[in-house]
Amino acid sequence: MIKKISYAIGALTLAFGLWGVYVRLFEGEQSANYGSYIIWGLWVAMYLFLAGLAAGAYMLAAFDYLFNVPQFKGTGKTMLWAALVTLPAGLASIGMDLGHMERIWKVYLEPNFTSFLTLMVWGYTLFLILIVISLYLAFKAPEKAAMKAVMWIGFVVAILVAGGVGFLLGGNAARLYWHVGLFPVQFPVFAIASGAGLMLMLVGWFMPDMDKTQRSNLLWLLAIISIATSAAKLYFVVADFTQSLYGGVTDNLIAVNYVLNGPQAFTFWGVQIVLGLLIPVIVLAQPKLAKNGFVAGLMGLFLLIGYAAGRLLIVVPGQVAEMMPGQAAAFTGPKLDITYTPSLMEWSVTSAVIGFSILAILIGMDRIVRFKEVKK
Amino acid sequence: MTEANLLQKYASEVFAGLVAPVAEGLQVSAAPAADPLVKEDVLVRMERELKHALEKPASERRWVMVIDLRRCVGCHACTVACVAENKLPPGVVYRPVMTEEVGTYPNVTMKFLPRPCMQCENAPCTPVCPVTATYHNEEGIVVVDYEQCIGCRACMAACPYGARTFDFGYHYTEGLPVFDGAVIGGKTAAEYEHISQEYGQAWERQGRHESPIGNVRKCHFCLHRIKDGVLPACTTTCIGRATYFGDANDPDSLVTELINKPNVIRLKEELGTEPRVYYIV
Repeated sequence: MIKKISYAIGALTLAFGLWGVYVRLFEGEQSANYGSYIIWGLWVAMYLFLAGLAAGAYMLAAFDYLFNVPQFKGTGKTMLWAALVTLPAGLASIGMDLGHMERIWKVYLEPNFTSFLTLMVWGYTLFLILIVISLYLAFKAPEKAAMKAVMWIGFVVAILVAGGVGFLLGGNAARLYWHVGLFPVQFPVFAIASGAGLMLMLVGWFMPDMDKTQRSNLLWLLAIISIATSAAKLYFVVADFTQSLYGGVTDNLIAVNYVLNGPQAFTFWGVQIVLGLLIPVIVLAQPKLAKNGFVAGLMGLFLLIGYAAGRLLIVVPGQVAEMMPGQAAAFTGPKLDITYTPSLMEWSVTSAVIGFSILAILIGMDRIVRFKEVKK
Repeated sequence: MTEANLLQKYASEVFAGLVAPVAEGLQVSAAPAADPLVKEDVLVRMERELKHALEKPASERRWVMVIDLRRCVGCHACTVACVAENKLPPGVVYRPVMTEEVGTYPNVTMKFLPRPCMQCENAPCTPVCPVTATYHNEEGIVVVDYEQCIGCRACMAACPYGARTFDFGYHYTEGLPVFDGAVIGGKTAAEYEHISQEYGQAWERQGRHESPIGNVRKCHFCLHRIKDGVLPACTTTCIGRATYFGDANDPDSLVTELINKPNVIRLKEELGTEPRVYYIV
């Protein structure tokens, strides 16, 4: 039943999203709400979220193929598949953000290696190739040394690309809210946290055929990982915000107040903290509830929504402080605002990305199961 | 000397003394004429120095801009001149003037800060470009290759001065009534507006995807004018003679003279960007 509902939701979100994709591709970026002062918006946040999700999914696949954690046995293919879906989904999201996406080939053929963006594009390409090879070997030769070797390389690359996203923002000295030395450390934690959230959903909702005891133990282990990573995330947020408020640097104060008391207060308190952190942590701390497939899946969904909101609250507040005081009022025109709420077109494109991800993951899982049956 | 001759000779000087009391020394020291009472306008001097600088190899020039904040009256003429010169579309601005109200009534004053691209020698915007679409040209000016730019806006995020804007494809002439066959009306205006001459090249901003639409745009010190020995539009248009431009590698140039004074600052110098725009405060 949940699977059917999920297919329907996937199809509906994709259908709604196709409108936005059409508008973006054929009418340009005028109907987006990001501009020249709030430069990066929802699509960049979703790229951070989905690319992190892919890295996290890969790390959790390594729990099966690399670290042989018994609770994870047999889940590796599913997580590799999830990584294979979410990484291109994230790249599609950032691709839509490019003014000239048809020139993306230039990053490969005419790259500037002093640009961290170039390194990330190349890193993600390598990561994508490693995911494909890992998945191939998972079917063909899961026990062979080649699989271990590839998974080790992939595991390290997953950490690096996740951390690299943190550097992409953290390395920017112009934006004090992003210029946090611990960003490259935080992002791999975010990645594994979101991977655990996704796995709670997949195992809790779509893998009822697993051995009952193993599934129960796996859900409990994922619950513990989720609680631990949520606590770590909360610690990072509290540390960042208190340090910014105590330091009193204007740009940081503007950004933190924007999150805590400003237009994004509900997204922070309501979505990221209550829905995405407190409720899942409280529920998942109950072993009985955590081992219930439906509840675990629902909490996984809440965690993912919270993580996605968290990415938006990293990307946007870093841009709300004017680079030069009075800049927004100095010259008026379209896209010269210092405020940002994603437009319907932007939500629609994100809906397409999410709808694609839901459908692709489900279809892939069904086919993976079928492969298993064929093998039997 | 007749009375008429006397008036003709000194009246303009008296007027110049009234409107530009803080520029003492600048014009006089620049005067090449034999008669010490005939002053050379700073624009004339800068244009002469510009032509002299163009005789040198490009790599030996160091273009800088100096803005005298004491003389800026916040008229925004430079902003408008820049928009007109480069045919900037709605939402694209190279040289806004920030306005700040200081104090409380009755002790209130206004402060103005024109902000072109700082043309940083250690520019944070250039190394982040994934395809080297923005770089220092041989004269040290940070330029954008519209045919190369992928529109990722990483340079905009990296610029600590907010000196870059994105071309979303708007036109001022959109929606204007069209009078076929007439020299006025939307079609004629659009034909004029849609072709930009930046970087010495005609850029047809058609549709929603043709460069420079979908690209990042920025001030380039009017390179196309400099090439022909003409000062940047913002400099020639400044009604208060508050903007100076020239070659800082020329020890005798006006800009060198100005930037060597102690009351000169650069914005956000602590970031190590080494801007080529100086402010006299």
